[in-house]
Amino acid sequence: MDKNQILKKAVSVDIEELDEKPGPFCMSFGFDPDNITASVRTAGLINMPLIRRTGAGSVDIVAGYRRILALKRLNWEKVPCIDLCGQGLSDKDLFMLNLYDNLCTRRFNNVEKGMIINRLLKYYTMEDIYRSYMGLLDIPSRREADLLIKIEGLDPEDKEIMAREPLSIKSIESLLELDSPSQKTALKWISNLKLNTNQQALFIDYINDISIRDGKSIREILDDEVFKGLFMNRDQNNPQKAKRLIDLLRSRRLPLLTGSEKAFAGQVFKLGLPKNVRIKHPPFFENPDYLLEISFRDGGNLIETINALAGIKGLSNLKDPWKG
Amino acid sequence: MERLIRKIIIEEGARHYGQSGRILKRLPDIAVEEADDDGSLQSETQMDLDKETLRLLRFKGEFLKPCPGTKGYICCGYQILNVGTNCPIDCSYCILQAYFNKPSLRIFVNLENELEHIGKVIDSNPERIFRIGTGEFTDSLALDRVTGWSGLLASFFSNKKNVVLELKTKTDNIDGLLSSPYRERIIVSWSLNSADISSREEHGAVSIKKRLTAAKRCQEEGFNVAFHFDPLIHYRGWSEGYLETIELLDRYIDPRKVIWVSMGCLRYIPYLKSIIRKRHPGTHILDGEFINAEDGKMRYFKPVRLEMYSFMSRNLCKWHDDLGLYLCMESSDIWMSSLGWSPEDTTGLSGYLDKRALKICKISY
Repeated sequence: MDKNQILKKAVSVDIEELDEKPGPFCMSFGFDPDNITASVRTAGLINMPLIRRTGAGSVDIVAGYRRILALKRLNWEKVPCIDLCGQGLSDKDLFMLNLYDNLCTRRFNNVEKGMIINRLLKYYTMEDIYRSYMGLLDIPSRREADLLIKIEGLDPEDKEIMAREPLSIKSIESLLELDSPSQKTALKWISNLKLNTNQQALFIDYINDISIRDGKSIREILDDEVFKGLFMNRDQNNPQKAKRLIDLLRSRRLPLLTGSEKAFAGQVFKLGLPKNVRIKHPPFFENPDYLLEISFRDGGNLIETINALAGIKGLSNLKDPWKG
Repeated sequence: MERLIRKIIIEEGARHYGQSGRILKRLPDIAVEEADDDGSLQSETQMDLDKETLRLLRFKGEFLKPCPGTKGYICCGYQILNVGTNCPIDCSYCILQAYFNKPSLRIFVNLENELEHIGKVIDSNPERIFRIGTGEFTDSLALDRVTGWSGLLASFFSNKKNVVLELKTKTDNIDGLLSSPYRERIIVSWSLNSADISSREEHGAVSIKKRLTAAKRCQEEGFNVAFHFDPLIHYRGWSEGYLETIELLDRYIDPRKVIWVSMGCLRYIPYLKSIIRKRHPGTHILDGEFINAEDGKMRYFKPVRLEMYSFMSRNLCKWHDDLGLYLCMESSDIWMSSLGWSPEDTTGLSGYLDKRALKICKISY
């Protein structure tokens, strides 16, 4: 078939014939239908959807799935479409037609990328896909492509969150390693508290480690009153709750470290340092040297601060917090 | 261990080496395939790392290289002799799971052809002691019945008077060594752990008792021995577990002929964590409090390491106070706090271990 010679055969299709369920060529998931509905309501149907009427009489949507959903919302009864049946186009041709049609107009979310790779696998080897489609789909690595394939097998509710939230590929990888109930619980927390990508990674890492260490499910852990209370707290906004969640999990995962941080902060507080002086511990106390920071206006102020420091009782008792 | 090998792959250009012929002869009933690629891991479906396949190939890099060490921590400064990669023992904590992206037990069949070059490097530095080990990227003896590495290397290094050869293992495969006539400057060393960790995490290794029985036999046969408590793993009951192993050492081993004992707490590159979780889902080795250390590796929070090293050091020194005890990849302040002294840096530790080699192996060059 010469793809440059596709005949544009316009037909009018009863909207009831067009299935809302994603068909074999669909690559849309988790989109917001309001925008396209508003567009059709305002400007009408600018581009006709492409369909294929099958031998059995049913209709496959080739391209224009979102438009058709919008038309359904707007209660259209008949849809003008281009019927591609009888033009010698194979399923592969039709799928590729839809893929390039989409590529011209938008970016895909991670769920959609997974759908596309899974469909491409009907026609190509994974090696071909790595070589020819990763750039088109904006997938930077083979590892990421391998991960995205797995998303399609998740529950629709979980996929909705994956499509909607800006999950990092690291978070997706970690989530996919959890069992299904844990995945759902973790996704719910990520979505409800709008964790940023750094917080997502920490959240999954801590909660999974605690779960394995304590032999409790992730759900059991997060059902604890402390976490429930945090979730329900109306005095805090989402960023505050997210930070609190990560802090709570960190202290449960790393009790010695967080205990040492607190103990050290207590030691420093008790010293009653001048306001322009700060004493800090090295990251994780790994390096043996502590840091003294003085801000000052001039030499006189510096001497004054040093003298004040030298006079602080208890300064010589400052030590590694685990030394008692 | 070699009984688990189900397939041999010979890469293009590797068949004509003598080592390939000998290995094929030692494994006459194993299916053999030829391959022209390097068998890189293509996807995570190969998470089993294909440890039932022996892959014979030419190694194109340098066979003898210094241990790279790690930034900010003190290294023992030994030389790695890269005889092959990957290991049939499959310990859950093994760094090799993340270190190599190529599957199968890979045997570098051109090793003996490169020995002459290695010999020249050694001979051109006669004032220097070379502490050479083959146990960095594989177990030194796990495949010895197939590869004959111990015989080959013992023979070659026997006339290199400034070399000590350390063969590090978790097996009791010592037949090849015992049947060779060479003893001088060969150190047979065992990685040790608590019996709990050994049985749960070191899947293909023999028990601690069997390792120590083999070590005792080697001592009796005139070999120098060494031990490596690495990785020390923090778990409920760790102190009792490691104490039992030290008690076993006391029962089986003459401490006066131990050249060195090292200790290193579990550390790992962050990428290894997800591999361990996938490949060993029941493991609890990651339960401890790990922090991101200055070299980018995950290590136990400092007071945990200090407690473990101090405990081990105290009890090992009760056994014998001149064991050549050292820490693997630790900072100077950890040395000071747990062992009471520090070699300060890699040069200092290298010098200390060289002196041990001179003293225990009675090197006179």
